[in-house]
Amino acid sequence: MRSRAGEGGTRVVYRGAEADLLRGRWCGLDAVFKFRRPFIYRLKVLDDAIRRQRTAREAEMIHDAKRSGAHTPFLYFVDMGKALIVMQWVNGRRLKETVSSLSSEGLEHVFAELGGEVARLHASGIMHGDLTTSNILLDYDNKGSSNNNELTLIDFGLALRTTRLEDRAVDLRLVKETLTGAHSEVASKAYAALLEGYRGEVGPGEVRAVTRQVAEIERRGRYARVE
Amino acid sequence: MGRFVVGIESTAHTFSVAVASREGKILSDVREVYRPPVGSGIHPYLASLSHVKAAPRVLRDALLTSGVGEGDIDAVAYSMGPGLGPCLRVGAVVARSLALSLAKPIVPVNHAIGHIELGCLLTGTADPLVLLVSGGHSMVVAFSYGRWRVMGETLDLTLGQLLDQFGRHAGLSSPCGVQVEGAASKSSRYVPLPYTVKGNDVSFSGILTTAKRLLDGGERFEDICFSIQETAFAMMVEVTERALAFTGKKEVMIVGGVAANRRLSRMMEFMTRRHSASFHVVPPRFSGDCGSQIAWTGHLAHSKGVTTSVEEASTRQSWRLDQVDVPWRE
Repeated sequence: MRSRAGEGGTRVVYRGAEADLLRGRWCGLDAVFKFRRPFIYRLKVLDDAIRRQRTAREAEMIHDAKRSGAHTPFLYFVDMGKALIVMQWVNGRRLKETVSSLSSEGLEHVFAELGGEVARLHASGIMHGDLTTSNILLDYDNKGSSNNNELTLIDFGLALRTTRLEDRAVDLRLVKETLTGAHSEVASKAYAALLEGYRGEVGPGEVRAVTRQVAEIERRGRYARVE
Repeated sequence: MGRFVVGIESTAHTFSVAVASREGKILSDVREVYRPPVGSGIHPYLASLSHVKAAPRVLRDALLTSGVGEGDIDAVAYSMGPGLGPCLRVGAVVARSLALSLAKPIVPVNHAIGHIELGCLLTGTADPLVLLVSGGHSMVVAFSYGRWRVMGETLDLTLGQLLDQFGRHAGLSSPCGVQVEGAASKSSRYVPLPYTVKGNDVSFSGILTTAKRLLDGGERFEDICFSIQETAFAMMVEVTERALAFTGKKEVMIVGGVAANRRLSRMMEFMTRRHSASFHVVPPRFSGDCGSQIAWTGHLAHSKGVTTSVEEASTRQSWRLDQVDVPWRE
């Protein structure tokens, strides 16, 4: 799996919706080069502004998130003009790909951990803004032991500094939407575990407030049944 | 032995009846569209009155032009929801009456799923990622585990509402999509508007507020139309691309009234190329609301035994497509 590319030598490891990820070395460190490529369908003036803004935002927020105690990659270098961020290479797999292979116990453990991570972000006034299972890396333990399943949060391009209840709820609702949309077979169990982990960090009162707001957002959804 | 399904659509401004065969041939599709006065939107009650007046003629024309005899009809399908209450009730009354008089089963159809299934039929797609954009919906959906799952959607206005409400503010008459597109094509001057993507979801209300204010402040109508399209469509394409990367689907299809907009489909086409996915747009004649979407989906549902009784054949104004079991898809 490990790349043997030399200093500065890179190779594409992943083409996402928004960015291409290249793996290489940076000052002797194993690094990932995240390049927000231009969208040809988007007007250039709009596209340039968005890519620049998200690059700056991501760099800033990854750093701030780390200060809150959440697990995020170390930042090495940022080039706003090129919409490029160089950061620590994290050995792990996207949660999206590992959810279905987790044991019932492992699933609960991982999502409780995730709930704790998100709660720590929220408690320090940060909203991730893009909490899909694509943006959570799971440090995979080949021995199958769930105790070492460590999480890393990535993709902070839509993150915000905020203290609004609404924004915290938007974060949780997105996890819920991703779970029911893409992992419907384990959605309710995973979401319950997430809330459990969240509660452990911020207490039951805060969980009640946020989940009530999540329900409020869902009620605002189009053609949602009003209860 | 029946071989055809009658479909009745009346969720919003369109009252339509169509006849479809089991093989997916549309034999007739007759429509009457309620047009609100200049500057105002659909008034649900007035729209329903228009539907009541149109219903006998539309029904008769659809049945006659299809050339199908009573004995050839399998079932009567209707839009149970979601939509405007008074409008939905007209369709339900017509469906119950027709089913009773012909002694045929009634099949309730979710309007949004109707758009998708008719799109699949007409574009030949099997398992597409779907962008459903209309006056009632702006969402990205994919099929998995027996249901259409929402991968992203608007948190407030739909694309159709955005274009309509801005157009009406500028003195046009609803629906305004075609006029806004025409005006946009006469400009290439971008006026910044709020670009709001929240994870998989989008919000258009900030665009509408800003666009109205810019128009009132003297900006050119054409420039604002251009900027609305460029901003709102790019947001929608961005969340579609996210869903495409996430689901790894190989086909992308765009359906609903706003599917008729050429700028939107061009942007979508550019996007899908990079992911080597095939791109499909529902033919313009069938992008908006029509009886065909109900007739065809009614056939699919009926083939799996989905029917209801006359007593239960009511309406559901709020009925999200992800609440509907879809037994005819694997």
